[in-house]
Amino acid sequence: MTLKKGLVLREVCGEYVIVGEGLEALDFGKMISLNETSAWLWKKAEEIGNFTIDNLVESLFGHFDVSIDRARIDVTNIVNEWISVGIVEADD
Amino acid sequence: MKEIYYKVAGHVFAFEIEEGDRDVLCDLRQYEPFVADPTEDTVFRLRICSKQANTTGFIQEMEQKDGVQTIRAGRIGMQPCFIFLWQGVLKSVLVCNEDFQKGDVYVENYNLFGINNAVMVLYALATANRLTALFHSSVVSYKDKAYMFLGQSGTGKSTHARLWLEYIEGSELVNDDNPVVRVLDDGSIRVYGSPWSGKTPCYRNVSYPIGAIVMLRQAPRNTIVRLRPPEAFAALVDSISGMRWNQMIANGLYETEVNIISHVMICHLDCLPDEEAARLCMFNVSG
Repeated sequence: MTLKKGLVLREVCGEYVIVGEGLEALDFGKMISLNETSAWLWKKAEEIGNFTIDNLVESLFGHFDVSIDRARIDVTNIVNEWISVGIVEADD
Repeated sequence: MKEIYYKVAGHVFAFEIEEGDRDVLCDLRQYEPFVADPTEDTVFRLRICSKQANTTGFIQEMEQKDGVQTIRAGRIGMQPCFIFLWQGVLKSVLVCNEDFQKGDVYVENYNLFGINNAVMVLYALATANRLTALFHSSVVSYKDKAYMFLGQSGTGKSTHARLWLEYIEGSELVNDDNPVVRVLDDGSIRVYGSPWSGKTPCYRNVSYPIGAIVMLRQAPRNTIVRLRPPEAFAALVDSISGMRWNQMIANGLYETEVNIISHVMICHLDCLPDEEAARLCMFNVSG
């Protein structure tokens, strides 16, 4: 899956929001607030490009002091939320 | 070819007008308070002419409708191009350089709508990476500070400004539609009057430090709350014009927005169009 094109992560006074700026996201019409972990995962997903939940679980586990199971739960929850608010595009 | 220079929010720009059988400058009265000395250091130079535009090869990227006004943004070859329509009728076409420092606007019969919209767009784009933003807002001054009212068209920005003028003694109208905000080198943030004031003719070459920015919404009761950074950011983004699909512009506007949020109180006011709304707002934001 990929992040929806045209969305940009912006930091505002220590908080993070996803904003539609590109032509593809001009009618996105909302802003999504992310917590620190979500923002960190978003940046990882941007780096990877076409990413999977496994990719992000590995990254989170490798970077933070969490168990692999905890990482999987957190990433799955976060990515499911991204899908439900329309900021992730699934593969066809 | 006549040249004339104007300074808005500290940025100088120039018009080049072909000598024609009409003195276009007579119609540009709203710009008169902003006349400036000639300089090489302009943010943009705009050639204004009345011959018909050639839009062959125009590729549209975006269209924005606001009531009877339509803007079509796109490009002709590598050059950004904007087409301005009023009730579906073509009023002007602006073609710029990629750095927005030079533009040509083809204005049918030198109509003011066509000229002003092209100038506003070019000003917004040419100043976006200079910590400057063109706002959609009504602004009043009170005790040496300015208070900006934001909200979608029709939500009552002008009405609320008028309530201040009526009930808050000492308040004055700074601009009723398109003020300019700028973050200065010393970190202070000021709002400036402009030649573009839409509904209420108010073209004042003045500026004030911003006391507060207030997002308005019509409601059955008057309540005011301070906005947290993400909501404050959303309020600002919606009120600032800019071509955000151009990364340089988007990044420039973001810098300005973050500066504003870090230093200026931003509130949300649910309100009726009454005296209490103005007083509630004033007590909470000035002081």
